[in-house]
Amino acid sequence: MPTRNPKPETRNSMTAEDYGLPKQTHDIFAIMARGHFISSNGARDNMGRLYDIINNPENFDRLQAYFNVIRYNIERGNNYFYFSKTSEANSIIEKKLETFERYIDIIDLFASMDNKITIGSRFRPSEISEECNANVRLKQKLQKIPMYRSETLLNKVRDICDLMARDSFLELEDEQTESYKVMDAYAYLLDLINSIAIYEESGEENNSGGGIIYN
Amino acid sequence: MENCRILNRIVEINITNVKYADIELCGNTCFVGTNNYGKTSLQRAILFFYSANSRGLGIAQSQKTFEEHYFRFENSYLVYEITTEDSAFCVMVYRHNKLVFRFFDAPYNPDFFLNANDEAMKIKEVIGGFEKRGIYISNQIDTFERYRNIIYGTETDKQLSKFHLLKGNEKYQNIPKSITNVFLSSKSSIDSRFIKDFIANSLTTENSSIKLEQVERQLRQFNEKYQDIETFLKKESGQLVELIDKKYDQVHMLKGTQMDLADKLGSSLRFAETQNESIREAAKQKEEELEQLIEAHDTFKTNLEEKQKDIREEIGYYDRTIRDANKKLKEYKEKNIEQAVEKNAEREKLQVDLNIARREYDSLTSNVSSIEQKYSSLIEQLRNDKSAYINKINSKTGEVFNHYNELQLLQKNEYNKKDTELKAKREETIEEITAETTAKQIEFNELKSEEKVIRNTRFYEAEIKGLETELAELRAVNYKNKSERAIKTNMVATLTREWEAMELKLKTSLSNQINKINGEIIKIKTEIKEIEDKLNVQHDAFYGYLEKHVKDWHTTIGKVVNEKLLFRTDLTPEFKEEASKTLYGIQLELGQVEVVSKSIEEYQHEKNERLAQIKDLEESLNQFQVANNEEKMLAADRFGKQLGELKEDVKVLAYSLELADKREQKLIEELEEWKQRAGTEIETSLSGNRAKLNLIEEELSVLNKKKNTVLTDFNVQLERLRVYNEERIAELKERQETEISELEVEKKNQVKEFEDKEEQLSKEKETNFKAKGVDSKQIKQIDNRIKEIQEALKEIEQYQQVVNDYLKDKRETFDKLPDLIQKKEEFVKTSNDMAGQMEEATRKFNLKRMELNKQKRAFDEELIEFNNGINFYTTNFRDTPVFTKHADIIDRAEPKRTNHNIMELCTQMLKNESHFNEEYTAFQRYVNEYAGKFRFDNHFNFIIRNDATQGEYERFAQNLRSFINENKIEMSLAETATQIGLVTDSIATKVKELSGQKDKIQHIITLIAEDFKKAEFEESKLIEFIKIKIEESDNKVYRLLKKIEEFREEHGLVYSEGLFNTDFATGSKREISTRAVRLLEQLRSAIKEQDQEEIRLQDLFELKFNIKEGMNETGWTHKIDSIGSTGTDILVKAIIYITLLHVFIKESSHRSSSDFKVHCIIDEVGQISAHYLRELLKFAKNRNIMMINGLPNKSGLESHYRYTYQFRKEDSGNVRIFPSIVTEVEA
Repeated sequence: MPTRNPKPETRNSMTAEDYGLPKQTHDIFAIMARGHFISSNGARDNMGRLYDIINNPENFDRLQAYFNVIRYNIERGNNYFYFSKTSEANSIIEKKLETFERYIDIIDLFASMDNKITIGSRFRPSEISEECNANVRLKQKLQKIPMYRSETLLNKVRDICDLMARDSFLELEDEQTESYKVMDAYAYLLDLINSIAIYEESGEENNSGGGIIYN
Repeated sequence: MENCRILNRIVEINITNVKYADIELCGNTCFVGTNNYGKTSLQRAILFFYSANSRGLGIAQSQKTFEEHYFRFENSYLVYEITTEDSAFCVMVYRHNKLVFRFFDAPYNPDFFLNANDEAMKIKEVIGGFEKRGIYISNQIDTFERYRNIIYGTETDKQLSKFHLLKGNEKYQNIPKSITNVFLSSKSSIDSRFIKDFIANSLTTENSSIKLEQVERQLRQFNEKYQDIETFLKKESGQLVELIDKKYDQVHMLKGTQMDLADKLGSSLRFAETQNESIREAAKQKEEELEQLIEAHDTFKTNLEEKQKDIREEIGYYDRTIRDANKKLKEYKEKNIEQAVEKNAEREKLQVDLNIARREYDSLTSNVSSIEQKYSSLIEQLRNDKSAYINKINSKTGEVFNHYNELQLLQKNEYNKKDTELKAKREETIEEITAETTAKQIEFNELKSEEKVIRNTRFYEAEIKGLETELAELRAVNYKNKSERAIKTNMVATLTREWEAMELKLKTSLSNQINKINGEIIKIKTEIKEIEDKLNVQHDAFYGYLEKHVKDWHTTIGKVVNEKLLFRTDLTPEFKEEASKTLYGIQLELGQVEVVSKSIEEYQHEKNERLAQIKDLEESLNQFQVANNEEKMLAADRFGKQLGELKEDVKVLAYSLELADKREQKLIEELEEWKQRAGTEIETSLSGNRAKLNLIEEELSVLNKKKNTVLTDFNVQLERLRVYNEERIAELKERQETEISELEVEKKNQVKEFEDKEEQLSKEKETNFKAKGVDSKQIKQIDNRIKEIQEALKEIEQYQQVVNDYLKDKRETFDKLPDLIQKKEEFVKTSNDMAGQMEEATRKFNLKRMELNKQKRAFDEELIEFNNGINFYTTNFRDTPVFTKHADIIDRAEPKRTNHNIMELCTQMLKNESHFNEEYTAFQRYVNEYAGKFRFDNHFNFIIRNDATQGEYERFAQNLRSFINENKIEMSLAETATQIGLVTDSIATKVKELSGQKDKIQHIITLIAEDFKKAEFEESKLIEFIKIKIEESDNKVYRLLKKIEEFREEHGLVYSEGLFNTDFATGSKREISTRAVRLLEQLRSAIKEQDQEEIRLQDLFELKFNIKEGMNETGWTHKIDSIGSTGTDILVKAIIYITLLHVFIKESSHRSSSDFKVHCIIDEVGQISAHYLRELLKFAKNRNIMMINGLPNKSGLESHYRYTYQFRKEDSGNVRIFPSIVTEVEA
């Protein structure tokens, strides 16, 4: 999980270009230092272009060296980038894990849909809520996800999409039709989940949904 | 009346709420009236005369249009009267659906329009009136444009050309625009932007701006396409395409396999259902057949065995008989039976000889019978004694001999008995063993024959044959496909070559055309440069001097002067009156000489012509490029489609070959498997057989060993018995011989005594005979002979019994022996034949049984298989989604036997389905990821909905494949390359067009600045100076537009070739293209940022003013909020407007036309002081401009105007306009 508590950006009088860095360095930092991802299939805020800039080997080395100075490390995923911090307190890591916990249920839900939601998929929250309405198993899964405001299923799905869009796993492609696109960074969540080892617990749990489904 | 052309009067008949108004305007005019009384409406009506544009009168969109508001009635008329140098003409405006004009050649007369009742007539009547009066009235002028042409003197129709207010040049449109702009400006502060707008609006038409929305749209379209292509060309996208393609193939193949399997499953199920009963029947029938066969075989076997038993008995009988006969024969031979038989044959003869000898003896002894008798009795006595003794000894010997013989016999009997017993026992044991061996041997033979049968049986023949046929067919199809693929690959290569050649041709022709046109453009540009140079220097050159100082110089000097000379600046011309019509004092008649000099307009015209030529050339190049691109696209379409189809075919063929190869491999494997199975089956059967055979062989060898051991055992026993027996007999014989020889010695000694005594007696007798003369010698001879014969007979008598027995045996047995042997052999042969027969029958039976068993087993197995299959299908398959998915195929299948069983098919389908699901999920994921890389509305239409069906995903992959195969990206590249060319070209053209007017602005500004200088306020010293200057625009969008235009100028049209790093893109072209793209991107974001609708002429430059009024100097500034008091501001503003108007009118009217005046309509001038107003009116008058102003009320200011009209609203709501009593101060 990328860092979410970045140090405030230290800016001096010299600009990025003076160090031979791309002029979008500030934009890149602004996105990634918030713990967000830069995905190659993103269209908003010139995301794709930023990805191409980081992906350029020359730029990458320079940016890496530059950010390493302020103890950030650019991590490369499959078609996405994010920051990691070189050393972090356990409490912060724990907090991040807590944040991540919620995603386990969300991804479980997404992977259980008739048409699995994967990287590049385009969907509308209403489609998901409709499917959940028609399928008890999915409905239970959705209800299990803890969200603050959830009077209706649709609102809950909207909240989820909103959360994921804020965390740069989704992108609101069309505000009018409320159409979202799944970013390449979604692979980060999948990878993380796939790396979890599950141990059988002796205690009985009453969820009929069963275990996590990986795709 | 003025002595010049001027709008003298305006008459409103039924216009708005004015019934009739006749207003004179040939001097400064002032309208006094409260707000909303119609001052502005009237001013608009005056403005309409100049602008003739009902939309440019400042009427808000919410208000009624000019036509509707002014011309409410059929008989609404606006009449303008224009005075000329010598008379006047009028133009009337009325509504005939739309607004139309008519000119009539007479001063205004109310009678033309009003009837006797002072009511306005209808247009027909009005026209009729003119005709009646013989006044020329023009045809209806339908368009504003035509009307303006007439008024501003550019109409070519001779009848109408006289109705002009002034003679305008090509720029005359600026006059109405300027007048309109002055009227419409209502702001009190002086903003350079407004002046800029004023100037620009006066110079441009509505369409000459650059609509940024349109540019942005073009840019967006280009940018989106560019982005799409960039995304498409990315390495990761390419990798995804490959993955999608591969996965699609796999998914497709799996789907095909599943369908095939489903069909097979359906067929098998139907087959199983339909065949179940019949197979059951067939199995039962086979069982019955088997039973019958076994029964028949058993019967046959029993019969044969019985016969064999009889024959064996016969053989045993004959064998025994022959053996006994041989045994007897051997015994007889041992007894020298042949000699005995020979001797026996001599017996009769010996008997006869004996009788003869006795009779001879009797006759010889008849004389000496007493002696003879005495001695004979003595001798006889002796002989008797001797005989008795011999007999006694003999009997003793006989006794001994017999005793031992008896003992020997006993021994022999004992031996024989034991021997026989042993032998019998041996025979019995051996027979047992032999019987066992024979049984085993039979079994062995049966197994052997069974093995032979197994070896000759071809297991799974049908399957193997089927596979071989299928393999052969597959190979034939494969061969055909391979050759087809080779042909198509060749075709692909040929088409690709053709396409490349065509592309090269198109590219060459394009570059040739570009070079050619660029050359021409450069040439024309040089010419333009020359003309521009001339135009630039003309002011300071000889030409300028002539223009300024010599009237009509073109008809004089212009005919003889060298053009180069005209534009030299170093000639310092000076006007000398005395030689004005001569050339260095020589008078020339130049009437027939052609004018060689050209006017500025002509130069301008030439320049414009050349510019137009460049434009045409560029246009033609553009068209050529478009056509070239179209051709390219057509080629791409044609070849691409063909190639795509061919490639698809090749791919399909390659794929089917691959499949066929796999199938072949599979079939070979299957065939091999079947063969192996057949081999294994044989081996299994054989190995069972072999094991049995080995076991039997083992048992046989054990039995043989046992037989041998038993034989040896018995033989040893027999041998021991024999040895013991022989020893015993030898001992008995020895004892017998010893005792007999002792007796013989005793006998011999005693017999010798007797014989001695006999001889003594014989000698005594002989002596007595001799004494009596009898021949005793002859008697003795006869006597010896009798003795010999008797001896011989005795011997014969001894063998008599044996010979008799022999003869009997010979007669009964020995002579029949060959017959017996023959018969035995016959029986043996028959027995052998029967054994063969039995063996053959058994072999046949085994074969048949095996065959039947096999068939039955096959039926049973099939039945079991069917039932198991159906069970499996019902319990494990029917409820799965796989069944649901393929239900229609399974249910529709024809009953047919397949090589696979139902269970296998179900399992395979389930396995395949899970594999298919895995593959399909991956396929779906790749498609989503790929489509996700593109914009939602990308122009490739790579879009997949979230709830897309399998079919849609597959279609996506198909479309993607044909996109790749048909190389459609090339078309997209060509389109985008053309588009960037077109976009930059269109921007460049627009910028060029717009900035082309910058010169005009510069010119106008210069004139204005000059005019300001001339503004002689010296008298009042009210305003010391008004300065104006032009600066470069700081509009970001315009700067970028300009950059693009410069870029386009620098690189021409062809940089778009290197837009993407395709085959022919060289490094530098790529770089240029990248720059172009970047520029366009910058422009797009600048447009977004700036949020401006259009770039107009006024955005091309900045204007700055510097005004000094009294002690106040504003300094160079855009905006002058306040120079002094409001009145001062209005004054400055009005001065600036009037200056502008003056400059424009001067610029836009023909030089020859100078006797005219126009109006400057400025509505609210109420706050201006009388002093200032006077100054202003004077300032205007000096520039041939009449002022029309509005005042809210009478304040004394009106006294400075020539005409003052008052507005009053009547009770009816109508407005009356009437002249006020005026005391003109200045006019």
